[in-house]
Amino acid sequence: MQTVYPRLVELLARFGVPETEITLDSTFEDLDLDSLTLVEFTLCAEQEFGVKIEDDTLNRQDTLKRAAEVIEIQGAAV
Amino acid sequence: MSKVLLDPPAMSTAAVLSGLGSWVPPGVVTNDDLAQRLDTSDDWIRRRTGIRQRHICDPGVATSDLAVEAGQRALKSASASRADAVVIATTTPDRPCPATAPEVASRLGMSGVAAFDVASVCSGFVYGLAVSGSLISARVVDSVLLIGAETYSTILDPTDRATAAVFGDGAGAVLLRAGQPGELGAIGEFDLGSDGTGTELIMIPGGGSRQRSMPGQQPGDSGQYFTMQGSAVFRHATQRMTESAQALLKRIGWEAHDVDRFVAHQANRRIIDAVACRLGVPEDHLIVNLDRVGNTAAASIPLALADAAADGSLRPGQRVLITAFGGGLTWGSTALLWPDVTPC
Repeated sequence: MQTVYPRLVELLARFGVPETEITLDSTFEDLDLDSLTLVEFTLCAEQEFGVKIEDDTLNRQDTLKRAAEVIEIQGAAV
Repeated sequence: MSKVLLDPPAMSTAAVLSGLGSWVPPGVVTNDDLAQRLDTSDDWIRRRTGIRQRHICDPGVATSDLAVEAGQRALKSASASRADAVVIATTTPDRPCPATAPEVASRLGMSGVAAFDVASVCSGFVYGLAVSGSLISARVVDSVLLIGAETYSTILDPTDRATAAVFGDGAGAVLLRAGQPGELGAIGEFDLGSDGTGTELIMIPGGGSRQRSMPGQQPGDSGQYFTMQGSAVFRHATQRMTESAQALLKRIGWEAHDVDRFVAHQANRRIIDAVACRLGVPEDHLIVNLDRVGNTAAASIPLALADAAADGSLRPGQRVLITAFGGGLTWGSTALLWPDVTPC
């Protein structure tokens, strides 16, 4: 969590989400990521962390905390 | 025991792209037109897809009608009057049976030639190129008219904004002739693949033996509309086209920076950009026309090639990388040095 979350925040910046708006409890919906943007974000996260995130693992109602946990469970390259 | 060879090949033969034609029906549906009847807007469609408008057939116009138009233009482009075979790549044949290609061949004045359809959905043109090129390189025939033709307007659910906003009608065709490997326009290596575990991501559920085999089902029952699971398709399209293009580049010894023009299946601008970014192909090397024609499935790549050749953004000698992804799931990539061809 301590290493994955800050990098997720950096990734979200590429999608135009200001760091100041992001907390661990923010959902993708809160951050105005539509469904296609969430797919793009997931693909970027896979590349960034060297993990495989299956279809429907993350949805717009999931928080950044949950996303970080999913990536950690997958064995993120940190 | 003597060995008899009938007409042994003196040297290897390659299929060479020698003609290029395209046709879209005159009717245009803009995003604003769609917004009149669906819960959508020009801004929503543009942001999610990059599409501004699509061409739609008038009532009574079928896939073969578009295919004949594009096929005639490809023949004219090559100053040819006929081919030894006609191959149609389509998701929307005139009828479930028979194939559309024989009728198109006859209407083009080529009754008697080999003619068949390729059903690989949006990958159909690349699969068709591989099959057509192989017919030539195996010396079964000396020329093939390959046409990608679609009338998606006939299979779209008019109430489904996700598909109605994306797809359009159109046809693109190439004439392939026998030539030498290495010459401009020679069709070379391919990377082709499929993953049937994703069958249900892109499909028309009804109308086939799966539905009709169910007790109580009759031909004509529900499920005749095209369906697509957008987010999952977005993901698979991005990954599969990237991986396929990378495999092809490795096989032919090109680096991403060698690619002068990148022609990806015109599915969605965001998918094209994501694939190009992953490959490392700069944005100004992309060929994009889906803003004007939408996603025309098996017709998308030849339509994009024809538009780009016509406006001068595709020039002889350029290294062209082509990749596609479609229902099946299927995907494929190929590359060629662009020939000196004038599209019609």
